[in-house]
Amino acid sequence: MRAKINMYLFEHAVNSLFRQKFKTLFVVLVLSTLIFLLTSVFFISNSIKHELQSTVDALPEIIVQKLGGGRHYDIETSSVDEILEITGVSSATERVWGYYYFENAGVNFTLVGIDEFEEQYKKSFASAAKELDFSKPTMMLGEGVESVMDKNYYKEYFNFIKHDGTLKRVDIGGVFDTQSELESNDVIVMSKDDAREIFNMSKNMATDIVVKVANEDEIATVASKIKLLYPDVRVITKDDIKISYQNIFDYKSGIFLALFVVSLFTFFIIIYDKLSGLSSEERREIGILKAIGWSVGDVLKEKFYESFIISFFSYMSGVVLALFFVYILKAPLLQNIFTGYSQLKTSFALPFVFDIQTLFLIFFLSVPIYIAATIIPSYRGATLDADEVMR
Amino acid sequence: MIELKNITKIYEESKENSVTALKNINLTVKDGEVIVLRGASGSGKSTILSLIASLAKPTSGEVVVDGLRVSKLVDSFASAYRRDNIGIIFQKYNLIPSLSVSENIILPLVPLNLHVKEVEAKLESVLEKFHIVHRAYGLVKNLSGGEQQRVAIARANINNPKIILADEPTANLDEKLSLHFIEMLRELKRDGKTIIVATHDPLFFDLDIVDRVLEINHGVLL
Repeated sequence: MRAKINMYLFEHAVNSLFRQKFKTLFVVLVLSTLIFLLTSVFFISNSIKHELQSTVDALPEIIVQKLGGGRHYDIETSSVDEILEITGVSSATERVWGYYYFENAGVNFTLVGIDEFEEQYKKSFASAAKELDFSKPTMMLGEGVESVMDKNYYKEYFNFIKHDGTLKRVDIGGVFDTQSELESNDVIVMSKDDAREIFNMSKNMATDIVVKVANEDEIATVASKIKLLYPDVRVITKDDIKISYQNIFDYKSGIFLALFVVSLFTFFIIIYDKLSGLSSEERREIGILKAIGWSVGDVLKEKFYESFIISFFSYMSGVVLALFFVYILKAPLLQNIFTGYSQLKTSFALPFVFDIQTLFLIFFLSVPIYIAATIIPSYRGATLDADEVMR
Repeated sequence: MIELKNITKIYEESKENSVTALKNINLTVKDGEVIVLRGASGSGKSTILSLIASLAKPTSGEVVVDGLRVSKLVDSFASAYRRDNIGIIFQKYNLIPSLSVSENIILPLVPLNLHVKEVEAKLESVLEKFHIVHRAYGLVKNLSGGEQQRVAIARANINNPKIILADEPTANLDEKLSLHFIEMLRELKRDGKTIIVATHDPLFFDLDIVDRVLEINHGVLL
């Protein structure tokens, strides 16, 4: 009984690819590179979107900041009680946070102070609060901070330089769990008292106040009431932050879109070139095969195997390379386009987001199109009279 | 039996540039007959072979082989007809240079998807018959002209066809190799094959194995 797949035909297709090894290698190289570029773009974009969504989800509904001369100043903690009295507000918490420049690595850390018994406005801070030892100066680190400190031999404690030049020793308690690296990578969590000491902030002051609203539809109303109560504050809603994040993301994804278009354009030039016809050598070989008894169907099947092997191998290589490049090598160069490059930022790893739709999209953009571009001219060649080989 | 009935073949590159290759040809070749078609280059010899092999269709008239109207066959049937009935020996051998001798010879069997033992048996048989066993796994491009000729004959015979069509088979061979080719032809005639040789090599005109020598000039059988 015959096997369903004609292994002789398949073997002939493989041999045919090896016979033209330089041409095959060139096509595989170009196709793999294009697929690698496209897939990398999609992987990075998906990861950043995932990070963005996680960050936005973790944002407080309203942030109240005090302004003076257009600049951000510390706010009195007494405002918390007055804000709590506004109808619709379910909680109001003062935040103590700021930036600390770590000269050794040339990066900025975000220091966040929390209280042991207060309701945390972020889930990640709630888990940090559980692990933090509030009886002595201790801190929990984001993964990026931990990595920077480790590289600079700060494994057990770190000495913060205070405003008066004296040192404040804080023990390292560990790394806190988080859902989003983009949001927490450069964060250090410690007690509010320790944070205030480092920032030289008095006990009745805070950096800003975060407000939770029971009904999401009332956020705008509550925001306007706070503004009425304190004319010298800036009230920032979750939507405002979401829009500003989205704007940055959209602008940067435009650069990626350009890269995507260039890759597609190159791919279609190759396809156009293939569709424009067979070489005389290819036409002659088809003629010989037809003369010795191959049908058009046999020729097309053989060409199908050839193009499938090339395009599928290129697809797999491109995708595997992209996985390695994006998630193991952390997408050098490409990631900077999206996340921005700054001496004052700690690096962060792109989270692995497996999106089967992306892989399908890349597959359908590459494999079937390449197969069609091989089959169509072969069909044209195979359906012509094969007597050319006799002349 | 091969019958060409009122065959005219016009190659029409464009209306102004058409070439009439054959004009009203009538020819009957009996089973087991050896026919030599002699004529100058461009006289239409190869076109007759193409039409018998169903590689081209006549502009008018029909080709009938053993009662089968091969000039009317659609591609898939024409391929099967060629595979089962016709073995072609080309002037330039038309081998695939980067394949080995064995790979070239089994090419006509590839679409059949036969069992590996059956393929091996057929291959061994033709390798022995045409004395190329020692070259079975060498690349065709490294063979001499005579050896390439034998590979081409082996390939034409792997399916044991009834009809052998040879197009200028000795054009690229010296006299010694040409004589060797004729010996192989003799063997094929002994096997009862119908052989049509298109050539202008005088070596074929007085051969004892040749039943008829037909002259063709400007597409007309004389």
